[in-house]
Amino acid sequence: MNKLYSQQELMAVFLARDLKDGEHLQVGYALPVAEAATRLAHIMHGPNMELIFLGARMNVHHLEYLPMPEFGWDNRIVRWAESYSDRGHRFDRLKDWTKRVFFIGGVQVDKYGNTNLIGTGKNFKRLDFRGPGSVGTPTLTTHVGRYYIILNKHSKRTFVEKCDYISTVGWGDGDPEARTKLGFPGGGPKYCLTPLCVMDFDENNKSMRVRSLHPGVELQDVVSNTGFPLVVPKDLPYTVEPTDEELYVLRTRVDREGILRSEGSV
Amino acid sequence: MRERDAKIRSEIIPESWLWDGMTVAIGDPAPMVLIRQIISRNIKDLTVIGTGYALDILIAAGIVKKTISYLAAGGVGVPVAPCFRKAAESGEIEVWECEEGILTSGLEAAGKGLPFMPCRGGVGTSLPEINKDLKVFQDPFGNETLIAVPAIRPDLAIIHASVSDSYGNVQHCRGPGWLDLFLCRAADKTIVQVESVISNEEVRSNPWATTLADVDAVICLKWGAHPLYSRGHYIQDIKFVQEYFSLAARACKTGNTNTLEEFLIRYYRGPKSHAEYLERVGIGRILELKEY
Repeated sequence: MNKLYSQQELMAVFLARDLKDGEHLQVGYALPVAEAATRLAHIMHGPNMELIFLGARMNVHHLEYLPMPEFGWDNRIVRWAESYSDRGHRFDRLKDWTKRVFFIGGVQVDKYGNTNLIGTGKNFKRLDFRGPGSVGTPTLTTHVGRYYIILNKHSKRTFVEKCDYISTVGWGDGDPEARTKLGFPGGGPKYCLTPLCVMDFDENNKSMRVRSLHPGVELQDVVSNTGFPLVVPKDLPYTVEPTDEELYVLRTRVDREGILRSEGSV
Repeated sequence: MRERDAKIRSEIIPESWLWDGMTVAIGDPAPMVLIRQIISRNIKDLTVIGTGYALDILIAAGIVKKTISYLAAGGVGVPVAPCFRKAAESGEIEVWECEEGILTSGLEAAGKGLPFMPCRGGVGTSLPEINKDLKVFQDPFGNETLIAVPAIRPDLAIIHASVSDSYGNVQHCRGPGWLDLFLCRAADKTIVQVESVISNEEVRSNPWATTLADVDAVICLKWGAHPLYSRGHYIQDIKFVQEYFSLAARACKTGNTNTLEEFLIRYYRGPKSHAEYLERVGIGRILELKEY
């Protein structure tokens, strides 16, 4: 099938549609799909969204072009800041963060949406793979209203029965009350997006469930690349494709450099 | 009558402020002139609170024993800083695993002179299992499960900022670095390197802009954060940083550290002064690093 968009563009458009006007969207480090999605949503339907990047609350809605950061710590982005908070002070208002939406990646993700950025291997002092570390994800995911797990690859290496280490608690052991019992104010992971599909969590046992397949993807591709049994509903739709308008806006007003279509993207 | 002491110093960190085994907290962007001195003076067995390029360079130089880490990424295409990764996997360095909320809490406890600070971030995760200093406890009022983070008190905080007056009233341009304010409050001593020195009158014209008051020493060196950025002055030298990460990754993969060691000698061990470092980088390259 000849697609007119990349998988990352599809993911960004799906994500953008799920963000509501007025929400506070906090994007962390090196998540181009989320960076693009928040900007696209802001232009398309969310003039009252607050875009927060590297501590800067940005006023960018009036811009013809809302560029994505060129590299990890592209601090030029603060030129659009109305206010700014450093890494420590932004936690001073955690009590209000249930309004906030956040996005994370992961080295490992288990079937209850618990994730791991610490590393893999049984012995912590001699890890097989040392990950980057938890950044601020434990505190953020504990407090934000909801968050999304976004992965650039869908493989058995990432989707594992049990994470070697947990850096963010999704739905714990699958108890729908797991987060409440831990005293978490925040709402937990809503969707997990990959280049193959969108997944959510079953209401009863909080197991990961396929929600839609991206056009051109077979269910078998998803199942054989996931290291645990997935919940599969009877009627499994395809992820709705981007409209011409969405793609046009994405490519002309957000991602002019083609970050979502270039090397490393899928 | 005595005059008020000026805090401006030459670029040399006083001998007695550095010792083997000390804990150094690095601001963001990292003050690379100060980092270079720590490397060239071969201070050993450091505990480092830091991230990214500066952390990896210190590990590459072989002078780190322990890191207090929430993130050790290298940037685009470098999800994990290579020397950090290798040293952590081999057990050469000890990792005090944490995250931003936990680190902030520990620094806040130190600043306030408290033994610990409660933190909710990290509850339910593996962090208290792999870092035994993090104690899970029940709060005495509502019986909530929380983590007690012990005070984290660096011996020295090293910071990069835009300007300062001669009395150590420091002003960042467009907001202080990520944890700079917390690191300085927690640390016993603070050295700040700035792009330029301004008058005390200028500071007094807008005291709200002073982000760090009364630091212990100020050194003034233009382009002192290179290859990192300095807001209001220059952007990160992304090619330089990428070059380092690719040769560090190769060295870690192959075990052949010659090219990495040459890089360290050329830019960190070798230069006798900041001026010599800038000469080695080249004025053309430096002048290209415009923000906009």
